[in-house]
Amino acid sequence: MREVLKTGLILFVFTLTAGLILGLVYSITSPYIGKAELNFKLTSIKDVMTDPVTGELLISPEDLPRSLEELEQKIYKSDDSGILYTSTKYGGRVHSPAYLFTSRDDKEIYVLEGSAIGYGGSVVCVAAFVKEPGGFRMNALRVISYSQETPGLGAKIGEEEVMRRFYPVPPEALEKGLRVNKDAGVVPTNDSERIKYLREHEGVIQTSDIMTGATLTPRAVVNTINTMYEFLRGEVDE
Amino acid sequence: MSDVKNLTKGFFKENPTFVQALGMCPTLATTTSAVNGLGMGLATLSVLTLSNIVVSLIRKVVPEKIRIPIYIVVIASFVTIVDLIMHAFTYQLWRTLGLFIPLIVVNCIILGRAEAFASKNGVLDSLFDGLGMGLGFTGALILLGSVRELLGSGTVFGVPIWGKAFNVFTMILPPGAYIALGMLAGLFTFIGIKRKERQKAKSNTEKVKA
Amino acid sequence: MKLFFIFLSAVLVNNFVLARFLGICPFLGVSKRLSTATGMGMAVIFVMTMASVITWLLNQVLVAMGLEFLTTIVFILIIATLVQFVELFMKKNSPALYEALGIYLPLITTNCAILGLALLNVLYGYTLLETVVHSVAAGVGFTLALVIFAGIRERLELVDMPESFKGLPGALVTAGLLSLAFMGFQGMVKF
Repeated sequence: MREVLKTGLILFVFTLTAGLILGLVYSITSPYIGKAELNFKLTSIKDVMTDPVTGELLISPEDLPRSLEELEQKIYKSDDSGILYTSTKYGGRVHSPAYLFTSRDDKEIYVLEGSAIGYGGSVVCVAAFVKEPGGFRMNALRVISYSQETPGLGAKIGEEEVMRRFYPVPPEALEKGLRVNKDAGVVPTNDSERIKYLREHEGVIQTSDIMTGATLTPRAVVNTINTMYEFLRGEVDE
Repeated sequence: MSDVKNLTKGFFKENPTFVQALGMCPTLATTTSAVNGLGMGLATLSVLTLSNIVVSLIRKVVPEKIRIPIYIVVIASFVTIVDLIMHAFTYQLWRTLGLFIPLIVVNCIILGRAEAFASKNGVLDSLFDGLGMGLGFTGALILLGSVRELLGSGTVFGVPIWGKAFNVFTMILPPGAYIALGMLAGLFTFIGIKRKERQKAKSNTEKVKA
Repeated sequence: MKLFFIFLSAVLVNNFVLARFLGICPFLGVSKRLSTATGMGMAVIFVMTMASVITWLLNQVLVAMGLEFLTTIVFILIIATLVQFVELFMKKNSPALYEALGIYLPLITTNCAILGLALLNVLYGYTLLETVVHSVAAGVGFTLALVIFAGIRERLELVDMPESFKGLPGALVTAGLLSLAFMGFQGMVKF
């Protein structure tokens, strides 16, 4: 009996010490972790508000949030559940909070984070929509998270070259509803002008040539965009 | 064993991946590219070296019966520390490695070395052992990662080597991992066999001379 | 319905060994004989399910206390304890299997599949029932891969293989081909 108590006690002491040390390390690294996460979010927001053609920031640099407080000032809508909107048609979700910025030429820019189920898990995107007289234009998109536990096909969605296929999208295409070329039955082409035309006029996103064999993940991105657009149409009066 | 030998045995003779067949899970999962392999290797190396040191330090106070749980507590603590540090300071890499950072805990290499070496040897020896095994493991990961990245994406460490036309996409997927590792292991074994033959031939000729 | 898909997904589509790379050490080590493979599989299913339930419950406590960073260390201790119990139980009740599994029984602790499963249950935010289904399915998938592989390997022993590929390398390439076959299940279940 004494043996068992003694060994149990030693194990307990070790575990307790380990727990305390970990608590200490956690309290030291916690602020840095918060900073890293925030930084990541701020960078994504900045990236989606950068014009993909000119490379210029859509808003003036002073308006760019640099801290959590500045970011929170830009909240347009939030919900405690973490979800602002779910689309039954596309199966995507818009996350809380949604942000609203004002561009240099006084247009409203909505920055949304949303997700949809891709291959093996959720694909999370951040996108910026500019409110124009003709409707909403999606300026740019960033895929900030995809299922990484099973590395492979889906990972390509995080590559710049692949993400570029998804934006910019003018109002007519958003209104039509975006689809991946496989679902639209469109044969992939090498012609970059044609790729651009397909996206901007037909709402067809070509990915089957650069993400061979993967459809679920780009489809998830497209569903997320459609969901975000549905949300905006419902929210903002024309 | 001399310190240098402790360090270098992990590279080739007792390479944890190709010879001892330990730590397979992270090897196959994180080597989709050379840089991922490197990141995982370094994280594992840190945990391995640190836990070897601590296990060696406490080896005289730990009762035999519960040594495994205690080693696990030590290893798990270092893994958590490395995870927190990576989350705070190497965010992108942390995101990429994801689930596999906490899984370093169950990397058989670390528990294996703690049990087989650090619990029976001095601190400095254990440090070198951990370092050597960790470097051998990292080397294996970089090698496998480079092969898979080269065949799958045409790049190595992000530097394009050849065009997309030659890409075998499966290399980045699970089957490719198994096959690539199997091929490399086969190559390793082949080199090992040739070495042994050469050594035998050398000692045979020496016997004849003597 | 979701439960059915979780089950199907873990067994075939996202097979723990062949698609997720979890549980490979025992996969390569115990798959030499069909009988030990089945025994190992059963033990793993049991440990996986029990461990998942207990860790799920404990996770609720940890989250409520804001101590998520202790997840790894708590989970692995639970698993280690469970395996210890299974070992004692097996020693008393089926010593033959205990002998056959040998070193691989305590190594269930370091079976990344179990810890990986526990962490995934938390990551996916499963309810308790979903966790149980997921865990049983993961164990079944593991056993399935293990048993198929053992069957193949028993045959491979009798075949003429190049010297360099005997043992581990040949096993790995074979596992790769098996994984390739299982890739056929991709896309069956979306998650």
